[in-house]
Amino acid sequence: MNKKLRFLTKTSLLKKIKSKWFIGINILILIIIVGILNIDSIISFFGGDFSNNLEVVVIDKTEEVYDIFKANIDSSKEVLDSDNSIKIKKSNKSEKELKKKLDDKILIVLKSSPEEYLTAKVISKKKIDAIDYQLITSALSSTKYNYGLIKTNIDIEKLKMISSEMKIDRVVLDKDSKSAADNMDTIMGTVFPTIILPFFMLVIFLVQMIGSEIYEEKSSRSMEIIISSVSPKVHFISKIISSNLFAIIQGTLLISYGAIGLIVKNNISTSSSSSITSMFSTLWTTLVESGFVDKLYYIIPITLLLLLLSFFAYSLVAGILASMTVNMEDYQQIQTPIMLVSLLSYYLAIMAGVFDGSTFIKVLSYVPFISCLLSPALLVIEQISIVDVLISIAVLLIFNIFIFRHGMGIYKEGILNYSNEKVWSKFKKIIKNKN
Amino acid sequence: MLILKNIKKNYQNLVAVDNLSFEVSDGEIFGLLGENGAGKTTTFRMIMGLLEPNNGTISLDGKKIDYSTIDKIGFVTEERSLLTKLTVKEQILYYGSLKGMSNSEILKKLDYWLDKFGIKDYENKKIKELSKGNQQKIQFISAVINEPKLLILDEPFTGLDPINVKMLKDAIYELKEKGTSIIFSSHQMEYIEEFCEKLVILVKGKTILEGYLEDIKNSYGIKKILLNVLDYDVEKLSKIKGVKTINKKRDYYEINIDNESVVDLIFKEIKKYKVLKFDAKKPTLNDIFIEKVGGYHE
Repeated sequence: MNKKLRFLTKTSLLKKIKSKWFIGINILILIIIVGILNIDSIISFFGGDFSNNLEVVVIDKTEEVYDIFKANIDSSKEVLDSDNSIKIKKSNKSEKELKKKLDDKILIVLKSSPEEYLTAKVISKKKIDAIDYQLITSALSSTKYNYGLIKTNIDIEKLKMISSEMKIDRVVLDKDSKSAADNMDTIMGTVFPTIILPFFMLVIFLVQMIGSEIYEEKSSRSMEIIISSVSPKVHFISKIISSNLFAIIQGTLLISYGAIGLIVKNNISTSSSSSITSMFSTLWTTLVESGFVDKLYYIIPITLLLLLLSFFAYSLVAGILASMTVNMEDYQQIQTPIMLVSLLSYYLAIMAGVFDGSTFIKVLSYVPFISCLLSPALLVIEQISIVDVLISIAVLLIFNIFIFRHGMGIYKEGILNYSNEKVWSKFKKIIKNKN
Repeated sequence: MLILKNIKKNYQNLVAVDNLSFEVSDGEIFGLLGENGAGKTTTFRMIMGLLEPNNGTISLDGKKIDYSTIDKIGFVTEERSLLTKLTVKEQILYYGSLKGMSNSEILKKLDYWLDKFGIKDYENKKIKELSKGNQQKIQFISAVINEPKLLILDEPFTGLDPINVKMLKDAIYELKEKGTSIIFSSHQMEYIEEFCEKLVILVKGKTILEGYLEDIKNSYGIKKILLNVLDYDVEKLSKIKGVKTINKKRDYYEINIDNESVVDLIFKEIKKYKVLKFDAKKPTLNDIFIEKVGGYHE
């Protein structure tokens, strides 16, 4: 029987990954992921916003601030991580004269003011791009600040000390209290959703894959031949294993596509500030500072275990539901609640911090299908302990065993049922008889 | 040898098969007849182990049929059970492997059957690209690739033209000669008459007729005379006691009679005339089926 199980699993898996659709869709996904990660270079290639060659003409009526402004433009570029090339030029011509031949240039008129120290007029023919405008305003503000300091004779060093951020030595005596690390917000806001997004995609793949395969065998009546050679249990297990293996392969491919996209970005990107090394270095510093890295040694295995058990739970339920349906439309409808639960789990995990450790969210973190994403999220922000996550794993394990044992009867009857009549009462009876 | 003893199967309140018993010896072709919904598919599914009977036993060569003995059975379902996206070779390899065969063994047998059915060129063609008749041949090959001990044929000739029917008939006889027990089900009675030595007729799960076809026919006796007489008004025969109906056919009359004694009375009446055709016939299986099954609807 093991030989037949191996054969069915292998055949089912190869059928999925050898199909032209799988190859085609994966090429498309690869292109999309690499494209998204390199969208700036693509836009730049086509002469888009990212490669703006901005030309700024400055009329400095103060005769003092042009060089300061020019220096501030460069430092603002660095701060804003802008790749834009800005050409700055001082002009002695009148505003009226320059306005006539402005074209794509930006004209900045700097004037001293008794109250404001420095005022500026920014003139352009068209609306200025938001990033460019931010860059200019940032440089102008800094210029005003520097000009003000010069005019008022304030000691720059002293002013820096006064206006610098207060040094706080924070000591938390209660070890279980919520971590105050600000970087955690960054992790929950950006890193975590990115990591769990592929899981959400894989659940969709998994549910549709297992359903369509069972439906295909059922609708072509080849199910009768298959089930007359292997038991429904072996058949079901083979579908679960092959679908989960497929999900793992697809997941690995998605991660690889991401890596390829980043490598491509690193090789074609011209800006040193946006290089992959610098990006990862910044991210790593954030993770280390937040204390997230110290927790990885238990967060990673626990999350993987939860994900794996959840994959099984999703495929068990999808397989049982697929066996009950007699046409594809029914299956499409019946899988909607599974998708919604998966979506709910995704959003709850992203917004985990908002709930501020409420009992409700803690209870939800034990619920199968939701726990896989919510539990690790709550664990990262220390709203639940590792014991809570172990409870989630135990609940998921019991759920899977329960669904497999009780769902097997439904699956056995379902795969040979071709009638839509009283379908729910039929399956209710099967469960009742089993009990 | 396949033995079914007192098989009963209920679906909730519906009795699908009620106390069914029969035996199929090695090298014997057995007919399982009945209208749609009579319980044939349920019986097949129970033999295949797809359904568990509520009562009774099913055994093949003295062993209960389960997943350790199932590899000895081949099944041609009424509706084509083929994965149409696969090629012929992939499909047969798939079903053959499920029967526990090695790839080399399957390919050797596939070669033989494709050659026999004259469709060797289709080995690497997708099943959906084949005609209905050729798909049916592939379905047959998938059922016999494992040289089954027991072969279940549910409407195997559906969609086949006379040439392909002959090919399949020859294949069935070949398997019979090799000692395969065959259960045959069809709504086309001429095939049952041609193939089956023994049969059972089911109505709503109950056995209403069973035994050797010849014995059944003999027990019915002569019920029909086909007659063509020159210069004689055949309608006059209706006055003879025991003549039930007289039907005019293209170049003869069909006279339905109560029993064999009426044959002599009719013959005495017409022998003075020029008789071109006088054929006293036993009932066909179709007649018997209509009479027996029809009676349950009255």
